[in-house]
Amino acid sequence: MRKADVLIVGGGLVGCATAWHLARGGAQVTLLEAGDIGMGASGQNAGSLHFQLERRFLENGEALAEQAARTAALSRLAIDDWRGLEAELGADLHVVMDGGLMVAETAEQVGVLERKIARENAEGLATRLLDGDEARAIAPYLSAGILAAGFSGDEGHADARAVTRAFAEAAAHAGAILRMRSPVTSARRLDRGFEIACADETLQGDRLVIACGAWTAQICARLNLHMPLFPVALLMNATERTAKGLRHLVQHVGRRLSMKQTHAGNILIGGGWPARLAQAPDGTFDPRRRPEMIAASLAGNMRAAIDTAPFVAKLNLIRSWTGVTAISADQLPIVGEVPSMPGCWVAGGGSAFTLGPTFARLMAQAMGGRAAPELDIVSPARFEHLNSFMG
Amino acid sequence: MRIESKVERQAPFSLQVEGETLRAYPGETIATVLVERSPVIGHMANGDAQGLFCNMGTCCLCMVTILPEGRRVRACLTAAEPGMEIGLG
Ligand SMILES: Cc1cc2nc3c(=O)[nH]c(=O)nc-3n(C[C@H](O)[C@H](O)[C@H](O)COP(=O)(O)OP(=O)(O)OC[C@H]3O[C@@H](n4cnc5c(N)ncnc54)[C@H](O)[C@@H]3O)c2cc1C
Ligand code: FES
Repeated sequence: MRKADVLIVGGGLVGCATAWHLARGGAQVTLLEAGDIGMGASGQNAGSLHFQLERRFLENGEALAEQAARTAALSRLAIDDWRGLEAELGADLHVVMDGGLMVAETAEQVGVLERKIARENAEGLATRLLDGDEARAIAPYLSAGILAAGFSGDEGHADARAVTRAFAEAAAHAGAILRMRSPVTSARRLDRGFEIACADETLQGDRLVIACGAWTAQICARLNLHMPLFPVALLMNATERTAKGLRHLVQHVGRRLSMKQTHAGNILIGGGWPARLAQAPDGTFDPRRRPEMIAASLAGNMRAAIDTAPFVAKLNLIRSWTGVTAISADQLPIVGEVPSMPGCWVAGGGSAFTLGPTFARLMAQAMGGRAAPELDIVSPARFEHLNSFMG
Repeated sequence: MRIESKVERQAPFSLQVEGETLRAYPGETIATVLVERSPVIGHMANGDAQGLFCNMGTCCLCMVTILPEGRRVRACLTAAEPGMEIGLG
């Protein structure tokens, strides 16, 4: 039987980046991926690097906004991680960090922006408020209807198709073993360490990292653990290529919208519009099958894009797709060692394109014995009450 | 480029691509005319030459502009018509 220091389940951004950090630190790592590298959320996402508080944290009460603001320390680390990533991985990932605007169209939305920026500044994030004309001066593509925008100089985007592959290649180069088309079908705790199996191999490891995105709860269940991560299905769209003109990441504080221009010139439009998750015959959600598009989401997303940047109306939409990601019970990511199961690490939920490289680095650091207090706020410890009858 | 033996075509007509006058036969797509002119129909963001890819309407790499109205269409799905003016890029 093959043994490893660390077994990783899931070859998305988080799993591959964790494998890279651990392997370059000298650990023997084996990663098992059910399909291919990046075929989950990591290859389907919008590629936004967003460091302003997300809209979803601002419309569900003050308590959540306050809690989310405390993840700003992670965002600050992520900014540095992304600025260094292409050099560290030696890969062209089309990382652009020319700034991001979160726009407001109504007086009420401007108020939300003001409160958001005050929170961010208090947490050490250098966001500032621009009025409509100031915003249009740096982003002439914005509509005359934009009253104000929150501006972060660090926001931007990267090529989601390239990033996870680059982490996987770097991990393999550093000695990690990455197995594709190897869905993990069982997982159990041993007296010391863990044992997992796929169709043709059983492996043992001192530690286990569960980085399977929307499937995290399924693998945790194999270990008799509850993990409150739920699959959600989202819509993405791409227009035809057009001349370079949209330098920033553009988001909206009151409507679901994210917009950016790719290296090739397409405008990617998303922002969290729902799609419909597929269901298995037994009525449970099946994150493996492609979610169904919802026509109203497509229309709403395009309308938000055009109202924000009217030039988009002239472009042809060439593709729309749906993807599945994971959301936790309290919306914050879940990253860290499970208190009731030492050696078992979980990383899932949240905007883990932006924060994934940082989650991976900090988990590897903590496994290597150097504490990573920045992860405390996202630790699975806050859900331990769910496991008080498990184990 | 066109098959000539044992093929009967209707009379050709002319159209403009980037100001050049080119010839097409009824039933041909704009893509046919473009490929006869040059396999290169544009450039990628990194400067590499780019041609048609799927020739069946899926990849959208063949989008051209119908002038003067500026409508963007897929060359591989759109029939060439007499007197058309087409802009690349
Ligand atoms: C449409 C969309 C847009 C998004 N936009 C953004 C954005 O702009 N910015 C941002 O920061 N975040 C964004 N996200 C979220 C982001 O994509 C995810 O948080 C991130 O990719 C999660 O990475 P992961 O490695 O945790 O999960 P995943 O990439 O989902 O990887 C999990 C992997 O586990 C594998 N797996 C599952 N079960 C098993 C098993 N039994 N055995 C082995 N392997 C298994 C899966 O095949 C999959 O490859 C978006 C998500 C979606 C869907
Ligand atoms: S060549 Fe692919 S759509 Fe025309």
